[in-house]
Amino acid sequence: MFVPFFYQLRNVGIPITPTAFLRLQKALNLGLVNSLEDFYITARTILIKSERYFDLYDKIFAQYFLGVELKSPEEKELEELVRSLLEEWLKDPKQLADFLGIDPEQLKKYSPDELIKYFLEKLKEQTERHDGGDSWIGTAGTSPVGHSGIHPGGMRVGGSSRNKSAIKVALERRWKDYAMDGPLDTSSISEALKRLRHLTPSGPKDQLNIRETIYQTVKNAGEIEIVFSPRLKDKLKVILMMDNGGWSMDPYIELCRTLFKYANDNFKQVKTYYFHNCIYDYVYEDPQRRAKPRKTLDFVREEPDTRLIIVGDASMAPYELTHDQGCIEYGEYQTKSGLHWLKFLSQTFPHSAWLNPKLKEEWKYTAGSYTIARIREIFPMFDLTLEGLEQAVNHLIKK
Amino acid sequence: MEKRRLKEFEGTKTYVLDPELKKIVNISIALEMPLLLKGEPGTGKTLLAQAIAEDLGLALIVLNVKSNMKAVDALYQYDTLTRLNDARFGDSKRNVKNIEEYIRMGKIGQAFVSESKVVLLIDEIDKADSDFQDDLLDVLDQMSFDIIEIDKIIKAKHRPIVIITSNAKKDLSDPFLGRCNFHHIAFPDPDMMHKIIKAHFPDIEQNLANSAIKVFYQMRKVPNVEKKPSTRELINWLRALLLDPSFKTKELGKNGNVPYLGVLFKKSMDLEQAKNYLSRVENL
Repeated sequence: MFVPFFYQLRNVGIPITPTAFLRLQKALNLGLVNSLEDFYITARTILIKSERYFDLYDKIFAQYFLGVELKSPEEKELEELVRSLLEEWLKDPKQLADFLGIDPEQLKKYSPDELIKYFLEKLKEQTERHDGGDSWIGTAGTSPVGHSGIHPGGMRVGGSSRNKSAIKVALERRWKDYAMDGPLDTSSISEALKRLRHLTPSGPKDQLNIRETIYQTVKNAGEIEIVFSPRLKDKLKVILMMDNGGWSMDPYIELCRTLFKYANDNFKQVKTYYFHNCIYDYVYEDPQRRAKPRKTLDFVREEPDTRLIIVGDASMAPYELTHDQGCIEYGEYQTKSGLHWLKFLSQTFPHSAWLNPKLKEEWKYTAGSYTIARIREIFPMFDLTLEGLEQAVNHLIKK
Repeated sequence: MEKRRLKEFEGTKTYVLDPELKKIVNISIALEMPLLLKGEPGTGKTLLAQAIAEDLGLALIVLNVKSNMKAVDALYQYDTLTRLNDARFGDSKRNVKNIEEYIRMGKIGQAFVSESKVVLLIDEIDKADSDFQDDLLDVLDQMSFDIIEIDKIIKAKHRPIVIITSNAKKDLSDPFLGRCNFHHIAFPDPDMMHKIIKAHFPDIEQNLANSAIKVFYQMRKVPNVEKKPSTRELINWLRALLLDPSFKTKELGKNGNVPYLGVLFKKSMDLEQAKNYLSRVENL
C-alpha cells in the first residue's frame, strides 16, 4: 500500500527505510488507522524521524492526497521495493522476517532470485488484501476522497480547530519553521548554534584515567587494567571575515556576529574582520572599515590550523575580483587582485570555508554567478542554511 | 498478532492531550515501539509518560540520563566494593561466591524484571554521548540484555511502554531513530493553552485566563531572549497573580504593566530584554 507515496517521500530526500515502511503496513494491519487523519499521523510518526522533515512531509502528503488519484502499485515499483527489501534483508534478516511474519530459516534456502519472487508475491498478496478489505480505507485506497466525510478540498469538519482534515492540517505547514532549507534567521539561530558547537576537536585516547583504572582493576580481581581517556585538546581558533559592504548582507552580518558570540565558549578565540565585496590588501577590525586596518599579508603569522570562515555573497563585478585595481572602495590602496588575496588566504589557512547567504540553488543563476564560480574554485562554499552550516562544520572539523 | 489487552490512553485530568499525540501514543503502544519525543523544554514531554502510567494504571520507572552515564549503568550494576568488603570481613549474610547477589538492577533492568507491565521513561537521552544510544539499541530492540559477569540473560517479562525524550542538544544517531517512533511536540497554540490552564486552574476567571494567555504569548515574542517562557512559567506566573490581592485583571498588560516578570524570565539578561520591550510598548 502507498508504495508511490513512499517513493515520493524518498525522492524529495527524506530518509525513510523500507523497514519503517513495513512497520507502517503493520500498523495498518493492526486496524489502528481508521481515517485519513489517522493515516497522516501514523505515517508521520513511523516514517519521519526528525521535525526538520515534517514540513516536507506535509507538502508531499497534501500533494499526494489532494492532487492525483492514488494508483495501485505498479509491478515495477513493487520490484524496486523488493530490491530494497533484499538489501535490508542482507543487513538484518531476522527483523525483516518478523515483519513479514515468515520463518527466516525457511527463507535461507532460497536463492536471491527466488527470494525476490517470494517477496513480490508476498507484497502483492498484501496489496490485494488491503484493496479488497473494508477495514481502513477500502476502495478508498485508490481515492481517499469521500471517506468518512472528509471533503477533498480539505474543508474543516467539526468545530474545534484541532479536528481538521489531514490535508488541511498538512496544508497549514505548521512545521515550516523547522525545515532545513531556507536561509538562517533569528528563529533558527539556536539550531544553528547547536551545529556550530560540533566544531570542537577531540584528542587521541592517551591520558591515563586513574579513577576508571582503579575501578576496572578492582572489578578485574586486582589484575591491573589500565584505562585511557581522550586527551583534552586545544579548542580551535576561528577567524571570521565578513562582507559588510552591501545592504543585501546586513541582516546576515548581525546574525553571524550573534552566532559566533554565543558560540564563543567553544572556541579558543574568535577574531572578526570586515571587508567590502572582496578581500584586498587590508581587512578591518571595525565595521566602518576605517579605524583599524590589518594587512592581509599579516595573517601568515597566525597559526595555520586556525579555521577561517568567510561570510559573503561572493557577488560582484568580475573586475573587482580579477583586476589589480579592481577595488571599488575609494582611497583603498591595492597592489594585487582580489583573486590573488583570496588564494593567499586559502593557502595560509588550509581549513577554511565560505558561507554564502544566497541559497545554493541560486548560485548558478544569480547576478554574481561568475564570481561565485571563481571563488568556489578557491574556497569550499556552503550556503547559510542549517544544512549548509552543518556541512561547513563537518568540513572544517576535518584534520 | 498479540491481543491488545490495554485500554487506549486517554489523557488525565491534569494532562491535556492533543488528539494527534494521543493517536501517536496509542500506535506506539500497539506496535510495541519506543516513542521518541522531541520539543522545546516545557512542552510536557516528561509529563506525558507520567500521564500514560497514571491513566493505564501502570507503574512508572524513570531513567534520568546524565552526561557521563554508560548504557550498562542503566541496565545493572555489579557491586564489586561490597563484595570485596564481604570477602574481607565475611560478616554479611550474602554468599560471596555467588556473584549474582551483588548484581543490582538499573532502571532498565528493573523495568524488565518487573512482574507487571510498566512505563519506562528514558528522560533526556541526548545528554549522554552517542555510545549510550548505540549500546541501548539492541537492548530496546530485543528487550533483553546479558549480565556479563554471571552470563545470564535478562529478558523483559512484559515489554514495557518506552517513552524517550530529547531536548535535541545533539542529533540522535540514525540507527537509533530507526527503531523509534518519532514525534515533535510543538509549543501549544493559544486554544490548547486555554485547555491546559483550565486543567490546572478549574475555577479561574475567564477574563483573567484570556488576558494572561494573551500577555504570555506576547512575552514569548520579546526579541533576543535566550529562554522563552514555557508552560511551566505560565502556570507559576498565574499562581503568583492569583495570590496577589492587589492584582486587577483589567490592568494586566495596560501601559506595559506585567507584574512578576521574574517568574516568566529566569535569566537576568532575558529579564532586562523583557523590561526594555515593555517600556517601549503601550498596550499589550
